This record gives sequence, C-alpha cells and structure tokens, in this order.
Amino acid sequence: MLKAYKNMKRRDFLAASSSFLLPVMVGGFGVKAFGANSSLVQSLMKTDALAKDRVLVIIYLNGGNDGLNTVIPLDQYSQYSALRSNIAIPQASILSIGNGTTGLHPSMTGLKQLHDNGKLAVVHSVSYPSPSYSHYRATDIWMTATDAAVQADTGWAGRYLEDRFANYPAPPITDRDASNAVMEDPLAIQIGYLTSTTLLGSNQSMAVAINDPASYAALVSGGVGATTTDLPCCEAGDLVTFIRQQQALAVSYSAEITAAHNAGNITPAPVYPTGNSIADQLKIVARLVGGGLKTKVYFLSIGGFDTHSAQVQSGGGANNSLGNHATLLGKLSAGIKAFQDDLLQRGVEDKVAGFTFSEFGRRANSNSSVGTDHGVAAPIFVFGSSIKRQSVGRNPNIGGYSNLPTDLNGSVGNQDLKMQIDFRRIYWDILTDWFGRSKTDAASLFLNTSFDTVSLFMDEVCTIKTGSWHDEKTWSCGRVPFITENAKICRGHTVTLSANASVKNLQNYGNLSMAAGVNLSIKGV
Amino acid sequence: MNYSLNAYAQPLTTSQVAHLLRRATFGPTQTEIANFTGLNASTAIQNLINNINYIPLPPVDLNETKITVGQEYVNTTYDSSLSRNFDFRYYYKYWWTNMMAAQAGNPSIIDKMTLFWQNHFVTSEANVDEYRAIYKYFMKVRSKSLENFKDFVRDITYEPAMLKFLNGNENTKGTGGVASNENYARELQELFVVGAKNFAGDNNYTENDVKAAARVLTGWQYTNFYANTTTAVDKKFTLTRHDTASKTFSSSYRSVIINTPAVYPGYTNAGEFEVDALLDMLFDHPETPKFICRKLYRFFVNPNVTQEIEDNVIASLANTFKSVDPITGRTFEIKPIIQKLLASEHFYDIANLGAIIKSPAEFVVGAYRFFNFPVPVIDSANLINSVKNHKAYAQYLYDRMAEMQMALLDQPTVFGYDAYFQTGYSRNWINTTQVGLRNSFTDKLITGRTLVTGITPLVAIKIDMLAMVDTANVAHNPSIPLPPNYDVTNCVHIVDLVTMNLFATELSANQKIFLIDTILMIGQQRSNWTTQWASYKSNPTTTNINTVKSKLDALMKYLLRMAEFSIC
Repeated sequence: MLKAYKNMKRRDFLAASSSFLLPVMVGGFGVKAFGANSSLVQSLMKTDALAKDRVLVIIYLNGGNDGLNTVIPLDQYSQYSALRSNIAIPQASILSIGNGTTGLHPSMTGLKQLHDNGKLAVVHSVSYPSPSYSHYRATDIWMTATDAAVQADTGWAGRYLEDRFANYPAPPITDRDASNAVMEDPLAIQIGYLTSTTLLGSNQSMAVAINDPASYAALVSGGVGATTTDLPCCEAGDLVTFIRQQQALAVSYSAEITAAHNAGNITPAPVYPTGNSIADQLKIVARLVGGGLKTKVYFLSIGGFDTHSAQVQSGGGANNSLGNHATLLGKLSAGIKAFQDDLLQRGVEDKVAGFTFSEFGRRANSNSSVGTDHGVAAPIFVFGSSIKRQSVGRNPNIGGYSNLPTDLNGSVGNQDLKMQIDFRRIYWDILTDWFGRSKTDAASLFLNTSFDTVSLFMDEVCTIKTGSWHDEKTWSCGRVPFITENAKICRGHTVTLSANASVKNLQNYGNLSMAAGVNLSIKGV
Repeated sequence: MNYSLNAYAQPLTTSQVAHLLRRATFGPTQTEIANFTGLNASTAIQNLINNINYIPLPPVDLNETKITVGQEYVNTTYDSSLSRNFDFRYYYKYWWTNMMAAQAGNPSIIDKMTLFWQNHFVTSEANVDEYRAIYKYFMKVRSKSLENFKDFVRDITYEPAMLKFLNGNENTKGTGGVASNENYARELQELFVVGAKNFAGDNNYTENDVKAAARVLTGWQYTNFYANTTTAVDKKFTLTRHDTASKTFSSSYRSVIINTPAVYPGYTNAGEFEVDALLDMLFDHPETPKFICRKLYRFFVNPNVTQEIEDNVIASLANTFKSVDPITGRTFEIKPIIQKLLASEHFYDIANLGAIIKSPAEFVVGAYRFFNFPVPVIDSANLINSVKNHKAYAQYLYDRMAEMQMALLDQPTVFGYDAYFQTGYSRNWINTTQVGLRNSFTDKLITGRTLVTGITPLVAIKIDMLAMVDTANVAHNPSIPLPPNYDVTNCVHIVDLVTMNLFATELSANQKIFLIDTILMIGQQRSNWTTQWASYKSNPTTTNINTVKSKLDALMKYLLRMAEFSIC
C-alpha cells in the first residue's frame, strides 16, 4: 500500500486526501511528493498539447508608482519641471523613446532597449472612474477589477482561471481550452509568501505560493495533517477545510514544480542582476516556464513605491535622477530585460507576456518633502515579444498644449493626472486576445461589463466608436494611428477625415467620410 | 448565535478558559488553564488585566562580545561611535518575543493588546531606525493599550517614530505650487481613527478632508535622532513651518473650520491647539467608535463580521465606547469595551470557537508556551551563557514569525499585517508555502533542538513524550493535569492525554479512533500498547524504548500537523 501511494498521480492524491480515513504520514513521516523525475512527470512534459499555452506575468509595484517620473513627457519638459521642480529628472539624462516626445527614467536602460526592440509598450495615464486614493481600496479595485463603487471578493485572474479550469482544486482539473485535458500543474503561482487578491477564486486562491522552487519540495514534504473528513462546527469547520486543502495542494504540486525547476536548469546559466528581488522572482518564472510547467499566471511583487518623501536623492540637479525611486525603477527595468533575454534563450519568448501595475499614480505636483503624495493616473508597462503596440494613449497634456484639453485636475499646486485608459481595457485584451476568451466570456468575467480593446495584441488599431479620424477617442489605441500602423474601421462606425492623414493600411468595414480636398495616404506594406 | 454582550454567567469550563487564553494571550499553558477553570467570565478577564505588569524589565544588550552585555541601554547617551544602533533596535524584537513567551507569572492580556495596537498604529523599526525612538513608541503603545483611546491617538500623533514613519517631519506649509505632505493626515483618518468607509461601503470623508488635515498637522518634527550626547528623542513645533490659513472640512465632519489661534490657553503652542481641534472633529464622527470596535472584534473574536454582527454586536459595543465611562468619567475608554467583549455571552458562543487562523505569533509562541519551554533568564552569575540562551530562544521564534510574514515591529506596510485587513482575513496566514513552514516548525518540537550548543547550561527544546505520558518518569511535569482515571497502559488514554486542550475545537469520535488506531498504533491491535508499555517499563532496552517512543513521537508530530492546530 505504501508503495502504491508513492506513485500516485496528483489527482489520485487529491482524491485520496478528501476521502475518508486518509492514511498520511506513512513510512515514518515520509509521504514524499512523487519523484522529481518520475515517468509520469517526464511524459507529461513531453506532451505539447498544452505547452503552447500562453503565460501571463503580473508584476505589482506596491505603494503607488510615480508615473510622471517613470515615463516623462519630454515634449512638455518645462511644464513637467515646473510641476515638480524639487524632483524633476534633468532633461539631458532622460532616455528618449519612440519619436522623441516621450522619455523613460534614466535608470531604465533595459526597458528602453526592450522598447526599441518592439518588446515593450507604454500605456499612458491608466486609471478608472472615481479613483480611490487609499492604498488598500485602490489595490483591491485593481485586483478585483470592479467599478470603484463595487466591492468584490474574487480577483479578475482568479475568476478567469476558475472559469477555464473545471473542478479546481479537486481532481481531475480539466482545461476547457484544451478539450478538457487534465491539468496537472498549478494554475497560478505567486512567488513569495502571501497570496494576492488578484488570484482569488470564489472559494479559495487559484494560486499556490512558492518562495523558492529549489527547496519547495523539501519544505512541503512529510504529509498532510488530515484525519477524517469530520469537521468542527461553524467558522472553525470552514477554516479547517481550507487549511487541509492548502496542505493537500502543497504536497500534490511539489513534484511538478520540482520537475520543471530541474528541467529548466540550462547552460549557460541565464544572467540576472543580483541584489534585485524582482529579478530573483522573474528568474524563477523563466526557469519554470522553460522547464515546461504549464502554469498560466505568475504574480510577482516589489514594494517601496510609496514615495511620500525622499523620492530622489537630496541636493537637486543630477541627484534628482538618483535615490529610492530610481533604484526601484532600475531594478524593475534590469529584471524585465534579463527575463526577456532569458526567455529568448530558452525559446519560449513568444508564449509569455507580462505587465506592471500599481494601485495609483502619484500627484503631478511634488510635495514639500522631495516626494509625491497619492494621485490618480500613471503609465503601465506591457512586455513580451508578442505585443503589437509600443504605445497606447499619449503623453498627458500637462500644459504644453494650450489648444487641447488639459489632463491636470485639481487646484494649482495640488494637481492630479486624469485617466486616459481604463485599466480593465488592458485586462480585456489579455483575456480576449492573449488567452483567447470570447468577448461574451470576457464580459462575464468583469461581472457582465464589456470594455474596448487597446489593440495590444492586434496587428491593427481599430475604431471603437463613430467619430473624427483625428480624435484620439475614436481609436482603440487612444491616439490617432501612426503611419506605421494598420488601421481598421469597424462595422457600424463612421469615421470623418477632415485633414490629411497617413496609415500603413486601412481595412474599412464601416464608413469613411472624407472632406473635400483631403487625402488619406496608404503607405502599404 | 447569541449576540448578547451581557457577561456570560456560568463558571468557565476548561475549554472556555482555553478559548479566552488563546485569544487574550499568546496561548495558554495547561497550568494556566487549570488555574482559571471555574472562574466566572468577568473575573477571568479582570484577572488578565490585574496581572499586567506595566513596567517590564527594560531590554538589555544581548551582544556577548560587548562590555555592556546584559546592561540596559535605552536611557544611555547616544554614541554613534559605538555603532550599536542596529543591534539595539533589533533587540526589541527579541525582547518583545520573550515577553510574549514568558511563563514566569500569571497570564495577562497586555502583550496581545500591544500587538493589536502596534499593528493599528504601525511604524516599522526598519524605517524609523533610531533605537530610542522605537523604544519610546513601543512603550507608548504598550502603556496606552487599555487606556483612553483619544489620549492614545494624540500621543501617537506626537511620537517621534510616527513623525518619521509617516513623514510628519517633512510636512510643512505648502508654497509655490508645492503641497503639504499628506501621509499622516490620510492614515490618521483612514487607518487610525475614522476608517475610509462605513460598513455599507460609503466614504466616511473626502479627499479634501485629507488635504485640510495635512495642513492642520504642518510644523511638527522629531528631534535628536542619532544626536550624540542626547539621551532621548523628542518632538518640536515650528510655527513658521505651520500653515496658518483656515482649514475647512467637508460635511462629513460637519463642515468644521480649524483656524490657527493667536492665543492658546492651556496649550504650549498653536499647533497643539489645532491637533486637539482636529481630534475633537475626528472623534465626533459617528463611524469612529464603530471602526475601532469592529477592528477589535475581528482581532479578538471573529474576523467574519456579518450584517447581524454589525447590527447586534458592533453597534452595541460602539455605544459603550462613545459613552461616558462611570469610572473615569470619560468617553472612548478601551478597558471597559475589552472587558465587555471578552466576558460576553457572544464571545463564548460555540460559533466563535476556533474561528480564527492562528497568527504566526500565536502559532509559534503558543506552542512554546503550551509545551512549557520557558524563556531562559539572564543570570548574572553566568552572564555570557545565559544571555546567549536568552537571545537564541527569542531569535529562533522571531525568525520563524518573520518567515511566516509576521516580523514583529516590521509590518510590510502601514496597513499592518495582511491577515488583519485583506479579504479573507486570517486565511491570509495560510498558503502552500506557509503550511510547509508551520509543519517544519512543529516537527522540530519533536525531533528537538538545542538553543546554543557547547555551553552550560545546555537548553534543549524537545517534547519528551515519554515524560509527558508517564507520571513515574523523573522528567514528568506534575503540574500538568491528567484526564480522570488516567492509565498510561491504555492507548485510548494516551490520545486523551496528549490532545487535552491542544485544539480549540473538539475532535470527533471518528477522529479519535483514527488517531488511536492509524496514527498511534499504526494498524496494530490496541492491546499491543499495553504489552509494549510493559516491556519498556520492565526492560528498557533501546528497542523497547523506541517501540513506544516512536509511536508517541509520531502521534504528536501528526497532531501538530493537523489543520485543527492552526486555528484558535
């Protein structure tokens, strides 16, 4: 009997763990997770039915990242500098990207390279209506992806996984995107010790938490403290059920994690920066993905972004490019760059996409303590070789364009940046275009709300409403299409062209209404 | 469910006493449970208050290579040339750990209250950094834990540690397009006093109220941080840094306007006057008493606050909180509501037993207390070795708590530990990695460890199962009560003995059968125990010892891995 136990598959293990009279801690406390190189695990790793599946990496910048010092509107440098003279990054050191109107913080050389290589998108001024300034509430809104006025206790990625994979955590867990093939690997992994609201399903987290895959199996070996299915009454019964489930999950996934970790050990070893917690976490992800783990979502985090004071090094001038915020952004940038290089080396680059988010941006004005208080909109980064846009939205108008509406809100000296892009539009693209959910399914995951695409993963930018060609709100990408981009007018939309414009190609499923004497030039492939 | 806050009238049973002590302390010893059994609920909580020692022995230098080892350091002159700041601030974590674990006297509620309030008025020692500021803050929190809440908030507002942690120090009058620092003003309202939202989810105040409060709070700074030749940190108010224009609040605060007075009788400066006006306003908010009572309830009784609990329990407790206390003649007294809550019929309702997942502190300190591993005392006759043991004991427990995401005095954010505010509350303490860490910790109690190797006295931390079950064993602890008619040769009695008061909830009959037959007897006949025990007693060869010992060790290891051991 003991022998048979050792070779049990994960689903059998879980089935057993929920059955009556589970004999655990057998063999002198030695229920080992199945051997790392068991034929079961090896054979699973070689079946590629699920291996092509896409992976999402979510990086949470805890504390509220100061967007205006992360992505800097170079086209309005003097206005930028006036808003925050005590922390403004010197113009000469800013890393210019794209056509030169936008810049990155000088510490983000890695992200600039990724941007130059088409592997990084900047989504400008992301937020949501009626924004919260509370860390806790704002984090919850981003993680549950509800309207600001709605409370929910499930996370958006948790809802997605729960919808896609039947039966979790009870075996067999099946994947409806893969003809109900059995899913043996964790659905989601949180690197670190605590689990995030993002991954909460209706009954439990859809993620397992691991801190170090190298020592994970040893940590969780030794069995489950379940006796019988008998439970105490009330809340205590629910808690005991929950803990038993986590105990069973811990053991049951350890073989898959260890196997992938071993299989992902390649030479030459990928190069990552040291002393960089986000790089450490990304390194684990790349190794597990490369090692064949079919986990769909990874959640990572890095803290320290709540820069109320001493955001930059004191002294002014060039020192404004240094200090706490610079260090954090530098770690993020170097970590993601090393990660992308690693994925490329492993040949899995195309199946991984990731994004960063923070609960809010910070005030456009700096405060008297060389820092910034809680604000509203901020840019986020989307990274991966599969993204099709390098920018969504445009630099906020912080006063440089007096003929256009301002993007500053609030009294002078205390101004916030307005939203351009609702964060749920990015989630929408991830669910529909990255993970392949239908729009109906995706809407149900947002509690029956639909969002417009931002064309992150589409070859073309498209209209999201009837309107002027020259109005940024007409277009999915939150700006007028570039000359290098394909554009699409969707069915039912009428686009009015009142001045000359150029695109690479146009697909017209709606109407294009052109004023007399106006040209649309199609540059062709 | 019994929602009544009336005092529970029956004498407390053993399991009810254990419930109280699990919640009000860091877990009981068997002796403490026995001593409290039969008391009425009001007396029991009164005892936990009467037992408080408000003047603990101060922390001492735990570095045995220093000449000052074993000596107090908090009131000495700051001397940066000694480079002791890091050590000294870290020793508070060990000092507090050992206060939680102490079994020297009668159990008291003080350190559990301190944990609650330190996690309410969070500052992190890693951020505050200055060892004297951290001590002053910690002692403030501890000494005010059961006193007047409004006084408490005022004192915390002026604490140098808080002025550093939430940037009060940098909060000056805004000029030239640069605003005041809002950090403390926001958290004062959102986390410390009013709460961001009411139970229904409506905002309790506006963003402009945050900005206005920030302006009221301008001008306060800490002093003497790292200043050589000074013995204490302090606070100061600078009028020129203060925003003297009118601060107007929203209708959430009855549109209060706070002005800077020209004269301020009874106050040292205009800043103090305005802080008191601000606190009057915050304490006048109808949500303030409910916010605090709800948080206390989630910590001490049950994290799951339903609408019924809100309407029947929180509302009633909040009424008491905002009413004039007959003893002190003041509102917002903490002690009476703690007494009321923890003596209530509601607290002892069966639905509240085991309704919280143990925090890492409750888990690790609780286990050391329950199994009687006392804190090694510092002994001047054997100073170096006793300090080593004292420190190693605390360091191990502190490190375990920290890796389980409960680093004392070092919360990850101003919100405190996740499990006290995140969706799911205490469930946040458990995930696949945490169950592994908990298991490693409890396994070690049975396999055993030595605090510091190669010194005298050698202190072992190991549950001696043979001594636990055998009253004739020289190492048996006679103060631990036995089940009635206890017979060590009966394996059913063994399970009864070792599970006594171990869990917050009762085991089912089937669970006990499983523990006896499958875990202890590993499928053998129950009568084998009697035979094997007799062989061990009459002929204690290594084989015969191991036959019974391995069974007992396996049982205890198993019990401590059970989910039931993780709830309280």
